[in-house]
Amino acid sequence: MLEKITLPGEVRRWPGEIPVRHRYTPGRAGEVFFTALRDGGVILGSRCARCDVVYAPARSFCERCFAELSADAEVGPMGELVSFTIAFVDVDGAQLDEPVVYGLARLEGADTAFLHRVLDAGEEPLEIGQRVEVVLRPEAERTGSILDIEGFRPVEGSAG
Amino acid sequence: MGRRVAVVGAGMTRFVRRAQETGKELAWEAARAALGSCELTLDDIDAVCLTSAPDAFDGVHMKGEYLSEGAGAWGKPCIRTYVGGGSGVFAGIQAWYTVASGMADVALVVAEEKMSSAQPHPQGAFLTIFDSVLERPLGPNLLWIFALEMNRYMTVYGLDKRDIATVAVKNKRNAAGHPSALLGQADITVEDVLASETLAWPVQRLDVSPISDGAVALVVAAEGVAERITDRPVWIEGVGWNLDTAYWTNRDLVFPEYVANAARMAYDMAGVTEPRKQIHIAEPYDPFDYKELHHLEGLLLFDKGKAPEAARDGVLNRDGDLPSCPSGGLLGVGNPIAAAGLMKLAELFWQLRGEAGVRQVPGSPERGVAQAWGDLMQVGTVVVMGTEGLRRGAAAGSSSAGPTPPDPGSAGPGSLTVGTRPDPGTAVTTVSARTPPVAPAGRALSDVEFRAAIGAVEHPVDARYEWDTGVAVGGFLEGLGEGRLLGRSCSGCGRVLVPPRMFCERCFRGTDGWVEVETTGTVQTFSVCHVAWDMQPLDPPQLPAVIAIDGSDGGLLHVLGEVEPGEVTIGMAVEVVWRNVGERTGSILDIAYFRPRRGEG
Repeated sequence: MLEKITLPGEVRRWPGEIPVRHRYTPGRAGEVFFTALRDGGVILGSRCARCDVVYAPARSFCERCFAELSADAEVGPMGELVSFTIAFVDVDGAQLDEPVVYGLARLEGADTAFLHRVLDAGEEPLEIGQRVEVVLRPEAERTGSILDIEGFRPVEGSAG
Repeated sequence: MGRRVAVVGAGMTRFVRRAQETGKELAWEAARAALGSCELTLDDIDAVCLTSAPDAFDGVHMKGEYLSEGAGAWGKPCIRTYVGGGSGVFAGIQAWYTVASGMADVALVVAEEKMSSAQPHPQGAFLTIFDSVLERPLGPNLLWIFALEMNRYMTVYGLDKRDIATVAVKNKRNAAGHPSALLGQADITVEDVLASETLAWPVQRLDVSPISDGAVALVVAAEGVAERITDRPVWIEGVGWNLDTAYWTNRDLVFPEYVANAARMAYDMAGVTEPRKQIHIAEPYDPFDYKELHHLEGLLLFDKGKAPEAARDGVLNRDGDLPSCPSGGLLGVGNPIAAAGLMKLAELFWQLRGEAGVRQVPGSPERGVAQAWGDLMQVGTVVVMGTEGLRRGAAAGSSSAGPTPPDPGSAGPGSLTVGTRPDPGTAVTTVSARTPPVAPAGRALSDVEFRAAIGAVEHPVDARYEWDTGVAVGGFLEGLGEGRLLGRSCSGCGRVLVPPRMFCERCFRGTDGWVEVETTGTVQTFSVCHVAWDMQPLDPPQLPAVIAIDGSDGGLLHVLGEVEPGEVTIGMAVEVVWRNVGERTGSILDIAYFRPRRGEG
């Protein structure tokens, strides 16, 4: 009953899509985080005193003990590069004009890392564990978005 | 049948049109309300049972994983179960087997849905439930299924739309006393429902539950543990679920046999032999008003076609003989799909403990049934809950086959350690005196706030699909190109299957061969649909119909033409109108439409 398909282009098939887009609200903690980022240029985390963990970006609850949290911990702008990758192709597999470096950074004062671009990787090879610094967009260009952060820029020395 | 399992706590958010909170935050609010209601913490939870309906609503692929931390699953065994609209009640079934099996003593059960994310309308996520090759080219929307089912239900039993509309009125009135409700309305009348916009006749806007965001959570515990958490556990006495064929046009659209099968399974486990006498309150699934009636019949609480007159006569009212949806249901409280189902179990918990406040059903009800429906409109999920558990009735015998209940006072394996809880032998806990949260969490955003919220982002589903026709449908489409309708025969059950399939889902054997069937048929049901899936008006309206093809045992979804909407009747003889030979592409649209049959031939 099953036939081997030798000419995939001739298989009868129906193209389609799921015709929806999604609008995501950042939630209670997210609104506080993005307001502080846009207006104050600061990165807020949330401290759970019971678990002795600082989450960054800020969260409204501790996933470990369920305590209610507030955005009470300013973190960064210096941090440590936890890992990185260099992307040469886009999501469809097409070659990028310029490779893009993405990194996970744990900012000073935080216990968790988050994802962003790594800027100016330049001549020196990147190293896991090295110091990075958050680079923000100029205040007038900030809109309350994760892109208000331009990325992590490597700086001299390894993180303490 | 394993250990006895009880619900010991419940909590929920408000159900709102657009929540400020993320899905995780909604889940957390409900979960911590449930834990707080029985004075437990996350440390007391052994396992997490999580549910949410299609990923495409929230717009998060692998939503269960995304929601897990809001459900308290960090560092714990957790799995998301999913049976579409039936998911919320199924979560109670999942919780039952998680605890009855001995795997966990105390489990947290969380259901979340955030439908406001989906733009322009969550129905876009539903389009793929239709067969991509045979149905989607017709331009269907979800309302078709309900309208076609409702029309046939009304026609076969000669029902009055007014009687059906009383369900919407009852539920929106009941919800007026619910602190979480989105559409509670104490002064709504049947005339309001009958005057509301017709979407897909006979479905009108107020026959339908609203798109909603929200979350609900329960805490369940094993016998021997439950009694230490509360002096009034509500026992899960029976569970059942059952699926019908995924070929929805081949189903009995009048009676939900799969709900009846699920109900029989749950009643049998609970020792319920006379449901109408032994069930005191019901929370049937009510995404549309007629569905509540359909499901009450499926739950064997009313004879076929008799639930509408019970609605008319007030039997289903909160002070009636069989209160149905005292919560206000999906029509009144709201319909964040999975959360709405679990809300029905929470309502039974509150009602059976006498804690439902102004919603309280009089007369100290002792046993209730909750039910939901979903998957490809083919699953029934049923849970029976009661204050007496399995101690009485036929099921008492089966429980004795299980492990001996542990001494509640012992601190053996699986015992619950709750820091400050008094000894259960002497304690009268304060938990049982609690009422559901009067100020549930969940903040509604206005349309403007939703559009302008700082940090909010919008993304398309950036994926396209190509669906193969497969073997059976490929052959069917080739036949259409030749002006023939083809089915597959099964000598096991004697059916001729249209749409054709290479295997018979009943006999689970390969079908035997191709059979050419007639190009004529009978209208099984139809609708007059005035809106597209994104709720934009259709002018002229479409006339979708399920047509039983002569010489087959199946029904086929298509549209009617060359007929005025007012002239269509169920039972009308129709015939295929083919596209011109040169215009055929081997598509379901090679059938232009079906028209009323003209004479012989």
